[in-house]
Amino acid sequence: MKQFGLFTALWAIALFLGSCVTDPVDAPLGEYEVGVLIMNEGAFGSNDGEVYHYIPASGELKPAIFEAENSRPYAGLLQDIVVTEDRTYLVANTGKVEVVDSKDFSSLGAVSEGLDITRSLVFVNQKLYISDWGAYDADFNSPESYIAVVNDATGGAIAKKIPVASRPEGLFVQDNNLLVACASAKKLEVISLSSETVAGSKDIEGSPVRFFEHGGKLYLYARDADHIYFHELNRTNHNVVGTVKVGLEGSTSNFALGDNGDVYVLTSTGWPDYNDAVAKISVSGQVSDASIYTGSGFYGIGFHPNQKNIYIGDNNGFQGNGTVIIINQTGQEVTTLEVGRGPSGFVFK
Amino acid sequence: MLFLGILVFRLLLFGHSGVVSHQDTLDLTPVEVFSMPLDKYTFGQTVRLISEKDLENFQGLSLGDFLQQRTGLFLRQYGAGMLSSLTMRGTSAGHNAVFWNGLPINSPSLGQTDFSILPVGGFDQVTVHFGSGGALFGTDAIGGAIHLSNKLNFGQGHKLKINSLLGSFGRWNQLGEHSFSNKKLSTRTRVYRNFAQNDFSFTNVAKIGTPVKRQQNARVLQWGAMQDLAWKFDEKNLISTAVWWNQTDRQIQPVMGSNTRDVQLDENLRWVVDYFHFGSEKVWNLKTGLVQDQLKFNQSINRTAQYFISGDLDWSLGPKWSSKSGFRYSYIQGNLSTYEATDSRLELYQSTNFQPNENLGFSLNLRQLVYQDNFAPFTPGIGGEWHFLKSDRHLLQLNSAFSLGFKVPTLNDRFWKPGGNPELEPEQSWSSELGVKHEFGYGNFKLSNQVTYYRMSVENWIIWLPKGNFWSPTNLRKVHNSGIEYFLEASQKMGLWALGLQGTYAWNRAINQTNINENDRAKGKQLPYTPEHKFQLTGSLEKGAGKIFLNSHRVGKRFVGTDNVSVLPAYALWDAGVNYDWNLFNRLQGNLGFQVNNLLNTEYQVLRLRAMPGRNYQLNLHITL
Repeated sequence: MKQFGLFTALWAIALFLGSCVTDPVDAPLGEYEVGVLIMNEGAFGSNDGEVYHYIPASGELKPAIFEAENSRPYAGLLQDIVVTEDRTYLVANTGKVEVVDSKDFSSLGAVSEGLDITRSLVFVNQKLYISDWGAYDADFNSPESYIAVVNDATGGAIAKKIPVASRPEGLFVQDNNLLVACASAKKLEVISLSSETVAGSKDIEGSPVRFFEHGGKLYLYARDADHIYFHELNRTNHNVVGTVKVGLEGSTSNFALGDNGDVYVLTSTGWPDYNDAVAKISVSGQVSDASIYTGSGFYGIGFHPNQKNIYIGDNNGFQGNGTVIIINQTGQEVTTLEVGRGPSGFVFK
Repeated sequence: MLFLGILVFRLLLFGHSGVVSHQDTLDLTPVEVFSMPLDKYTFGQTVRLISEKDLENFQGLSLGDFLQQRTGLFLRQYGAGMLSSLTMRGTSAGHNAVFWNGLPINSPSLGQTDFSILPVGGFDQVTVHFGSGGALFGTDAIGGAIHLSNKLNFGQGHKLKINSLLGSFGRWNQLGEHSFSNKKLSTRTRVYRNFAQNDFSFTNVAKIGTPVKRQQNARVLQWGAMQDLAWKFDEKNLISTAVWWNQTDRQIQPVMGSNTRDVQLDENLRWVVDYFHFGSEKVWNLKTGLVQDQLKFNQSINRTAQYFISGDLDWSLGPKWSSKSGFRYSYIQGNLSTYEATDSRLELYQSTNFQPNENLGFSLNLRQLVYQDNFAPFTPGIGGEWHFLKSDRHLLQLNSAFSLGFKVPTLNDRFWKPGGNPELEPEQSWSSELGVKHEFGYGNFKLSNQVTYYRMSVENWIIWLPKGNFWSPTNLRKVHNSGIEYFLEASQKMGLWALGLQGTYAWNRAINQTNINENDRAKGKQLPYTPEHKFQLTGSLEKGAGKIFLNSHRVGKRFVGTDNVSVLPAYALWDAGVNYDWNLFNRLQGNLGFQVNNLLNTEYQVLRLRAMPGRNYQLNLHITL
């Protein structure tokens, strides 16, 4: 009985203490922190890029959310969307970056002066590093390519421009280095974030586009007219330690990483038929299916990690707004969405 | 005397003056140098004249500005002083033919004309032909045709003219002209310089806080020179020639949100020679000329040259029949940034007028064009006019026309690398129209109304689509166009006072009939940047040498894409001005004018995110000695 009393007392104390400790409660997610952000590039000369927001569960699609939340147009050709901490960066290849709150897309700032043909960015060490092709020369080459450095997470003036090889695209931060995929120069450039100078440059087979991680390894995706390349990088010295070369005619720079090392790549046959397709390839190099889905005007691709569906952006010839076609992993169409001009990418949340 | 005789002959030969009031292009002033009338074989069609007087306050400004402000036509303007392309009856920029003194001047590589680099001062008058005119004018005349003409006179002695226009945003246009003519010879030399800094203020909606900013990188500098010469070297022979060189050096106004610093240099050289031989009820015309265009965009240079030779015989078979038979041969060279190409075209045409009586007239036009080894569609056109009510005060006229049109694919369409498609077919159209014109006069009151309903179909419409890594053109689109054009002119004199009203309204539906793929949502929708409605009205009050006017034009909403999702709102602009014709001792004459454009300081965009100027002022001074 004494033991029972003691047990009861301890239980009561435990209950009391337990009731005093508050469970960690997540802050409520903002409207745009769930669902899918659909990136619409916009048409050349019109600067009508925009972001659409889609909730797969309900099918709700909200158009042009930047303009809806800020009462002004985005006014740029949307090249990339980068989400970091509580901010979302909308990168325009017409030379600006808009910074919005990830919750409600309200404007926080911008980099609007000094950029040229902006491609992507990373946020590290409380700074923005922005890849930019620089102005074209007389032959529409990009010898003035650079990484712009902005010392404020919400934008502002460019503090420094670091010259890099021609046409920097994807960026990746490894330790205290910034890896830059320079597509036209076919180089991987390594920028030391300490000195903010190019510390190394390596030749790459194919045109490097973007970095991705799979199975704990770091890869660099590259392509040429007839092949795609998965270059595995050493995270310490950044050397290519292995390359998987896959024969794939008409490959493009548009790809999405699926489950289990599957990669979905957009292809286009070119003259005279111009048929586009989605090819399913394994990082290990096996072409599972060179065309799990075919059509025309394919301009962007994404893979929903929870739904396991593939999202394809169809530009409808840029004559008007585009369409997103959602297919499953066997290539069967699930649904289509009427979206903005030139749907070119997706952010899944 | 002979020339007067020629003009009387013209009256008999060309004027269906008893039937038609196309007459605006048929000036019977006995000193005017002869030129072929543009409206002779156009029974049933709508032809409007823009006179030198109409253009007076636009010295050095672009023809595009004039047409946008003072007509029912709509121009897609990419900013102040920037690219300005015309759409007529809901067709595209390349679907109207443009002529300078009878030479086609549409760029053979682009297939269109930039109306922002046709400055007022580079020609004397403009004739607008509405609707398909393939049989009359050849390629490109699907939505209509624009004719720029120089007018010379004999027997005027020496004349010196200086025109200046000073305006907001650094606008300063100047023109100097000397002309001399006697009974046989007429010569005129003209030089002009037009400049605008275009640093107007606008709300930059692309930036945080939408600040008001000064427009950057939009400066325009234009130089030009013209030389006209006409020589009546004997009783039956006349030769006339004109040369026009025009250079436009522009910064290209960036679209809001872009930081581009593009520059463009256009150089255009046009030269024409006409020989006329006047026989008994016959006029022979032999024409030759060249049109050279160079467009340098940043460092990219594109050059084209067109060489023409044409001849026709215009003759009369009694009072009821008249006929014109002719040919035109064109040789085209293109030296573009990505390719070189040549093209040659031969056209045969026949026009016939039949006027069974003074109240009835018909035109039948036929044309066949061959380019390289391809036959363009055979192109007939027929039209008629009937005065079905004529009294002392009223004239009611019924107009009707049916015509075909076509457009030969441009050099870029066929040969651009990469993507050019040599297999393209010509674009084709048919067009029909029915109209009524009413003229009323009573005492000092005059009223003229004209309303026309048209229907048109354009097939094989060429559009450029992204194909893999580049864009390529295909004959894909089909468009049904329909609409109404209305023209109003009224005047009332009251003693020394004169009241004038001039207006136009255009209703244009241009409905896409094709989707480019199963996801496209364009079918059944209005074409982009083609307003259904445009309205323009000018009221004026004159007393003696003084005149005030108020002008307004309203452009309806425009869709940005083919699916009609994004919309640019309608806008209306008002302009007001005052003019005074002065005369010093009958030796020095001129005109002084002051004008306020965009009176209400309306913020508007013709095309999305292309800033346009707010309220601005201009001062015109014309001096003639």
